[in-house]
Amino acid sequence: MRRIGVFICHCGLNIAGTVDVEAVAEALRHDPQVAYATTYKYMCSQPGQDLIRQAIAEQNLDGVVVAACSPAMHETTFRKASASAGLNPYRCEIANIREQCSWVHQNEPAEATLKATEIVRTMVAKTARDEPLHPLSMPITRRALVLGGGLAGLQAALDIADAGYPVVLVERSDHLGGKLAELSGIYLNFRGGPELLAEKVRGVREHRLIQIHLETELASLEGYIGNFRARLKPAGAPDDAAGEPLEIGAVVVATGFDLFPMRLLGEYGAGRYPDVVSGLDFERMLAQPDGLRRPSDGKEPKEVVFVQCVRSRDPQRGVPYCSRICCMYTAKQARLFRQRVPDGHATVFYIDIRSAGKGYEEFVQAAMQEDGILYLRGRVAKVFPEGDRTIVWGVDTLTGRTVEVPADLVVVATAAVSSAGAVELAQRLRVGTDPYGFFSEAHPKLRPVESLTAGIFLAGAAQAPKDIPDTVAQASGAAAKVLALFAQQELVQEPTVAYVIEEICAGCGICIGACPYGARSVDERRRVAVVNPALCQSCGACVAACPNKASQIHNWSTDQILAMVDALEL
Amino acid sequence: MTADGIPRALVIGAGIAGMQAALDIANAGYEVVLVERKPSIGGHMLQLSETFPTLDCAQCILTPRTVEVGQHPRIRLYTYAEVTEVEGELGHFRARIRRRPAYVDWTRCTGCGLCQEKCPARVPSDFEEGIGRRKAIYTLSPQAVPNKPVIDPASCIFFQRGKCRACEKLCPTGAIAFDQQETTVVEEVGAIVVATGFGLYPPAEIGEYGAGEIPDVLTGIQFERLLSASGPTAGQIRRPSDGKEPKEVVFVQCVRSRDPEHGLPYCSRICCMYTAKHAMLYKHRVHDGQAYIFYIDIRSAGKNYEEFVQRAMEEDRVLYIRGRISRLFPQDGKVIVWGVDTLTGKPIEIAADMVVLATAVVADPSAREVAGVLGIEVDEHGFFREADEAMRPMESTRPGIFLAGAAQSPKDIPDTVAQASGAAARVLALFQRWTHKEQA
Repeated sequence: MRRIGVFICHCGLNIAGTVDVEAVAEALRHDPQVAYATTYKYMCSQPGQDLIRQAIAEQNLDGVVVAACSPAMHETTFRKASASAGLNPYRCEIANIREQCSWVHQNEPAEATLKATEIVRTMVAKTARDEPLHPLSMPITRRALVLGGGLAGLQAALDIADAGYPVVLVERSDHLGGKLAELSGIYLNFRGGPELLAEKVRGVREHRLIQIHLETELASLEGYIGNFRARLKPAGAPDDAAGEPLEIGAVVVATGFDLFPMRLLGEYGAGRYPDVVSGLDFERMLAQPDGLRRPSDGKEPKEVVFVQCVRSRDPQRGVPYCSRICCMYTAKQARLFRQRVPDGHATVFYIDIRSAGKGYEEFVQAAMQEDGILYLRGRVAKVFPEGDRTIVWGVDTLTGRTVEVPADLVVVATAAVSSAGAVELAQRLRVGTDPYGFFSEAHPKLRPVESLTAGIFLAGAAQAPKDIPDTVAQASGAAAKVLALFAQQELVQEPTVAYVIEEICAGCGICIGACPYGARSVDERRRVAVVNPALCQSCGACVAACPNKASQIHNWSTDQILAMVDALEL
Repeated sequence: MTADGIPRALVIGAGIAGMQAALDIANAGYEVVLVERKPSIGGHMLQLSETFPTLDCAQCILTPRTVEVGQHPRIRLYTYAEVTEVEGELGHFRARIRRRPAYVDWTRCTGCGLCQEKCPARVPSDFEEGIGRRKAIYTLSPQAVPNKPVIDPASCIFFQRGKCRACEKLCPTGAIAFDQQETTVVEEVGAIVVATGFGLYPPAEIGEYGAGEIPDVLTGIQFERLLSASGPTAGQIRRPSDGKEPKEVVFVQCVRSRDPEHGLPYCSRICCMYTAKHAMLYKHRVHDGQAYIFYIDIRSAGKNYEEFVQRAMEEDRVLYIRGRISRLFPQDGKVIVWGVDTLTGKPIEIAADMVVLATAVVADPSAREVAGVLGIEVDEHGFFREADEAMRPMESTRPGIFLAGAAQSPKDIPDTVAQASGAAARVLALFQRWTHKEQA
């Protein structure tokens, strides 16, 4: 017979205000497995933890159930307290009677007390069958792989290398700097992209700890956090051209973005009208040293129309989301145009002006007021060439009138879309993407730079469109996660992972398909399934899938769960 | 870069930015001194009901983090404290931290809550933004970290009139200490992260909208408390004036934002999204209600943000009106809203049951003082100035002092978290150099 201690927390009035905690303790005292049961105002406080430690020693307990708040809050606290009294921490369990009981049954105290008793009883049944476990530890390779050599990748690589760790930087194209290298000038200060980049690129090139691979792609990634093996290959080459595997501890995905292709814009001439160009084309035009020249005849354009939200915010023909950067770069381009062509005139078609950043609103106001740029709220219906001009038809939604502008040049702010090959890369990395091919973060609010796969981090526009300061901040953020990982002596993992009872495993391999984390394989020689505990996230999909019940999770075994069900008295 | 320094960081402010920076630094193995002015950590995010665009409950996602900070072996937490003086330079700062008297001996207090239950003095609560009340001895929330109360002498009957002492009589551990004095500690650190957050434009200074005068005109953060399950109405939408459920609610964006004449020229960056969320949550609670939003431009430029606003319009039938409000006034138990729809050019009048103002995000009132203490610059609006607006957004104008979150400029939660981690990366790069010199 086991000697389990039950410790019921009042949580001030959070639990005790609804649940009769004394009644729960009394009911549990009749459980043959329970040697001791008590209550306390705040079990997580120092006196509360002392109470547990003391009882473990004096009552010779071999298991502890703390009935309190969610295990997300204090499981660690109570396991540490139990361990300090000599109990294996995996024999300390939390019965959640706050979030799952008192808080949601505030108006039914009697029923809440019964439910709390049942919850605690089931955890006693589980604890009675808990094995003593020991945390798994694994070594860490302190070298990072950064995918993408644009601003995000450069920044992440520099931050990691500046902290003293080697970085392998892989870039698909033949140069570093990504899209930023092509920008004529950035908002808010009009400094040129190449000038801004020069410092970062030099820092990366000259860094002793950064190894650069241009015109290179990832062929494969195996392994798990702290212990990846990456194979690289020449860009565009088949996978079997891959070289020797590199030992890698963490990966930063900084593969950037692309633009919605001009050739798919029917109403803008699908790329056939020479004087209808994309925003990025216009950047290159602005960067020409011999003045601004339009593509058709090399003349300086005097009347330029800028069109925002082309295929952004357009679920019918494009993407539903906002591309986040176009409002600002359009304002910047219109202002740069006015600087280059002082007698020129610029019109911007917009839906909403989104200038929500430090100094951004003021920048757009200056575009309107100082540079006399005409902002028209409305969509463009049609664009067509007539003579040596391009006619823009649209509607001004503020006046309700149709507008016709004969333009010398039309610049379309096409949607920022995910980088070509992003979804395929995500599959190689075993990380998720959203419906548009942007990499999915672990949590939209609180974990924006982590993927859901441990050890793989996200930087820059690969995660979602973002501007330069946001990209720099997020890339450094991803680097911080890599640095925190590399600072560990070894990786410690919870031992409550899946295992296989080999005697009854048929080696059928169904669990391999069921496992979302790639943690399982079949040992072909012995014909049994094996688990890579470092990859297992304890989700239980293998347990459900296994026809023989050979797949189990430590301390969440089928026997335990059935015992918990049997313990229910109601 | 400095060759050596103390691998220990000071983080000022324990909202979501400061907590994230502190955790990232501490999880990489270095000590952090975290200083928070309020009695407990969590900042504005703990006041929020649910968060866009997922409608995750703010407390549910934040409290595990406050607990992690509170229990972290490498984070030394000073709450109810302020940094008053900083000497030295990158690598070797000496920070003087003043701890306000809580009048409670926190080493004895178990956080049982009996004192708060029995305290007879009730005053409007800052945490509830004035629409709920607290006692003279109080914690900010039941999940406060640390879960230790403070006595506010301004509202304490004993401090004001010399008698009561109810808390002292009832406290089972004898933790009440009316004679407690302010204390000062000095901490030596190698780098500093400033994460002092933001403030909101004072409603009393917004004449034409009647905030603070008309009871049913609320600010966005007050509406957040109304929506919150842990708020004064337990999440029921009720008018402050008569406790009735409002059936017509008008939300007004850009109140003193984008308004160089009366307020601030900049965009507050978060209001479009939280207003869409407010309107949506209102409709989820009051199915037969109607929500109107007055806007200038809808700024939903983030992952899944545009889709979220579309959902508010299409599924929850929130009516978006492009235009500004000219006047608000009470009439027959309603709040009359006068405005212009700039798309049709027609004037609009709505007899609303409640009006919610998205007031401008401003620099925290303490920012200029903090800047003075640290020897760093602020911009004309009081937000901390970065070393380079595009390429170095987490660095202040002084080496070794970094910026995180809305103290630098208004930003939403994911941007704040990313930038705070970014600031931590800069600190970690320094510390790694000072401690390891060489790796691999």
